[in-house]
Amino acid sequence: MADTCHIMAGRLKEPVDLIIALAGNPNVGKSVIFNQLTGVDVISANYPGTTMELNMASTRLGGLKIGVMDLPGTYALGAISDDQRVARKCILEGHPHIIVFIADATNLERNLYMLLQLIELKRPMIVALNLVDEAKRLGYEVDHEKLSRMLGIPVIPTVAVQGKGIEELLKTSVDVAIGNIEPKPMRVSYGRDIEDIIDELEKTALKHLERSPHDLPVRALSILLLENDKEFVEDVKKDKGGPEVLKEAARLAEEIRKEHGESAAIRLSRERHGLAGMIAESVKSVSEEKLPMSQRLWAYTVNPRTGVPLMLITMAGIFAFLFYIGGALSELLTRLWEIGPHVVIQSVVFGLLGKGVIGKTLIWGFDGGIEAALSVGVPYVLTFYFILAFLEDSGYLNSIAFLTDSIMHKFGLHGRAIIPMVAGAGCNVPAIIGTRVLTSPRERFIASTLIVLVPCSARVAVIMGGVAKFAGISYALGIFLISLLVIIVVGLVLNWLMPGQSSGLVMEMFGLRRPSLKAIARKTWFRFREFVFVAFPIVLVGSLVLGALYEMGAIEVLSQPLKPIIVGWLGLPLITGATLIFAVLRKELALQFLITFAITQYGAHAANLSTFMSKSQLFVYGLVTIIYIPCIAAISVLVNELGWKKASAIVIMTTVIAVLLGGIARIAFSFFA
Amino acid sequence: MINNMTPTIEEYLEALFHLRDKGKAVSTKDLAEHLKIAPASVTDMIKKLADKKLVIHTPYKGAILTKNGLKAAAALVRRHRLSERFLADMLGVPWEDLHDEACKFEHVISDQVEEKLLEALGNPKTCPHGNPIPTSDGSIVEDMSIPLTSFNPKETGTITKIKEENPEFLHYLASLGLFPKVCIEVKEIAPFSGPIIIKTRGASYALGRDVACNIFLHPDIEVKKRLKHGKTRRKGV
Repeated sequence: MADTCHIMAGRLKEPVDLIIALAGNPNVGKSVIFNQLTGVDVISANYPGTTMELNMASTRLGGLKIGVMDLPGTYALGAISDDQRVARKCILEGHPHIIVFIADATNLERNLYMLLQLIELKRPMIVALNLVDEAKRLGYEVDHEKLSRMLGIPVIPTVAVQGKGIEELLKTSVDVAIGNIEPKPMRVSYGRDIEDIIDELEKTALKHLERSPHDLPVRALSILLLENDKEFVEDVKKDKGGPEVLKEAARLAEEIRKEHGESAAIRLSRERHGLAGMIAESVKSVSEEKLPMSQRLWAYTVNPRTGVPLMLITMAGIFAFLFYIGGALSELLTRLWEIGPHVVIQSVVFGLLGKGVIGKTLIWGFDGGIEAALSVGVPYVLTFYFILAFLEDSGYLNSIAFLTDSIMHKFGLHGRAIIPMVAGAGCNVPAIIGTRVLTSPRERFIASTLIVLVPCSARVAVIMGGVAKFAGISYALGIFLISLLVIIVVGLVLNWLMPGQSSGLVMEMFGLRRPSLKAIARKTWFRFREFVFVAFPIVLVGSLVLGALYEMGAIEVLSQPLKPIIVGWLGLPLITGATLIFAVLRKELALQFLITFAITQYGAHAANLSTFMSKSQLFVYGLVTIIYIPCIAAISVLVNELGWKKASAIVIMTTVIAVLLGGIARIAFSFFA
Repeated sequence: MINNMTPTIEEYLEALFHLRDKGKAVSTKDLAEHLKIAPASVTDMIKKLADKKLVIHTPYKGAILTKNGLKAAAALVRRHRLSERFLADMLGVPWEDLHDEACKFEHVISDQVEEKLLEALGNPKTCPHGNPIPTSDGSIVEDMSIPLTSFNPKETGTITKIKEENPEFLHYLASLGLFPKVCIEVKEIAPFSGPIIIKTRGASYALGRDVACNIFLHPDIEVKKRLKHGKTRRKGV
């Protein structure tokens, strides 16, 4: 995974002269600064072997072309988690010309901890002291000049959401990168006894090691070895003199443990925190401690008494927004499509190819397929991405995660999973992509499976328009109830079955922030762009295949093998089999096709489904429709997010559950009748 | 009593204070390693301390501080940590010299100066390393230790230990500033035995139950009072 950072730089539209890496804690406005610094030419890539997303974009200053790399936000620079490893690798192996450390002025002490770790690496760097306005609102000021003197590196105060200080930040970074300014970073020092031990290890390392991994200063390497840093221990092991050095490191670490009664890693951590606290204390001046509006509001969002009602209202709001506004937009788009592209495509295709099988098949793909993708993509996916980005950037997502964590825990999930799950009721597609807010692959699989089982607006339409209308509302409610039970049971079972368990929750709570519209808009757009590239081709090809099958009359042939299941086990008329196949395209097609097929088969009066299906048959049909395979757009994002294997597992699992429950429902009905 | 002690006795008391583990004797070997001297000379000194009724000495087991011994030791530690605070906050002595300078400085502080120092420093609770400063009656705090999950919002305590097997996770918590001897405040508790929001060093974190139940704290006086009166924890809504 060597040089992802440089490879990404190579993928930018034009070669760059300099690379700036943005590092810092999560939620300090790093991505806002990234967005302020750069233009539209953004490359995103997953770091190999991780779910960590790296963004790279370019900017200009004078005649220089500059690549800006946005590293994952981390609290420390170690090898404990994926984000930490990626951030450090990019700094060590990507060799950025300058590191811009973005520090949160409202929480300087914690931010300085990682900054001290970075300083130890002795790479060129400067500090952006962000959120200075927020600090003022909290009633204190940070003396950035004094901080700069103490750290020995330039410190630029910024208010990223307003673009303040960004220009100076870029200018200073370039000045340091090209050597116009030469920072003299402070020496990060520890207690005398620890210093002696570091010195001792440094001497041993200098004597035995052929070279320091990544050409790290030997002092920094010694500290990392005392901390028993997994990656560097492995790196040193490969060196000829490595074993000797590691032995000494272990002995000296044990000496620290004996002296201080805690592991060397924790002792070093403690001292670094102490130093960070001391620096923070001496540059901070408190005028009067204030509790700004955003903090008071935040307190309401996490207090169970007020937070739970607020959360329920928000969830209902999101659901209603997707259901009604998304639904209305979807309808509007469909209408616009019908009067515009639909007519054009039909006349072009039929004009060129005639109304034969090929022509009609192409209409399935380019007319029906694109329309389907558009009517899901724009109204549901785009709007949900916007809501999600807003919740993330405002910090409210963390409050919701906090309140719902214990319930989601039973499903092996974290509280953060609640938002995609609720969104799933609008449309599964954005919800599945929304599981990116979860960290482990296990959580993302469980969450995606459950989301697929959440009836989306299209399926609700089938139940309401088919079952409720012709069999009665109680039948429809019964279906919803069963689908809720299925979600709960599947969640519990998956949590029990899948190896590993959800890791302990440690989540920073940073209050509410005023989000930057530009950052939200860009985040929304990047995610949507990805959806378009992934989902459109699959939906298009899927539509073409289904269309070809239909036009060649193969659907009926294909549904013959399903006869034992459809007729024998589920007790449904055979034509429903074909509709279930087509509904994979779009779930609401299940109902539309059922009516269309029924009319061709039984005559016009069959538009009333109850003329050829009993109430119990409608119930079984509705139940199967709501649970089996998600639509083709959902499958396409499942494949993209989880890979073929897991996506197939979900498709098979849901189909099996649907058929099983459908049959059981039929048997239950016949038993009671 | 402290005034007529030789520095060596003071070092012993401090060492015993650091190494003590509730009710258990400190072995001669550990003491010797900590002070970096031969075990034989340790045994001699322990006998002297026992004569002064500062420790109870059990052969082959080690020494344990008596009530008086603990009080004297805590007073020493208190002056040391107060000195560190003073040297760091008021004089800006470099971090690496703090401990050694404080070792010298602590011996010249009288009771009166100690009181003035406390006042001038705004009654600090911990030394710059995050270790708690023992209270003025010389008693040190760690007489009880309860899990974070037994705290109510707005209550405070000092971490005594984190029961966690995985060193990586411990290290991760440490990088956030969560390790023993750190004061934390409980801000909020989620319903249905959900996570707990705590505040430390100006940052707030939500900790899941499975994490929180492994973090043990010495509760502050208000919490102790509540526990004494048998009131239970506020339940979530």
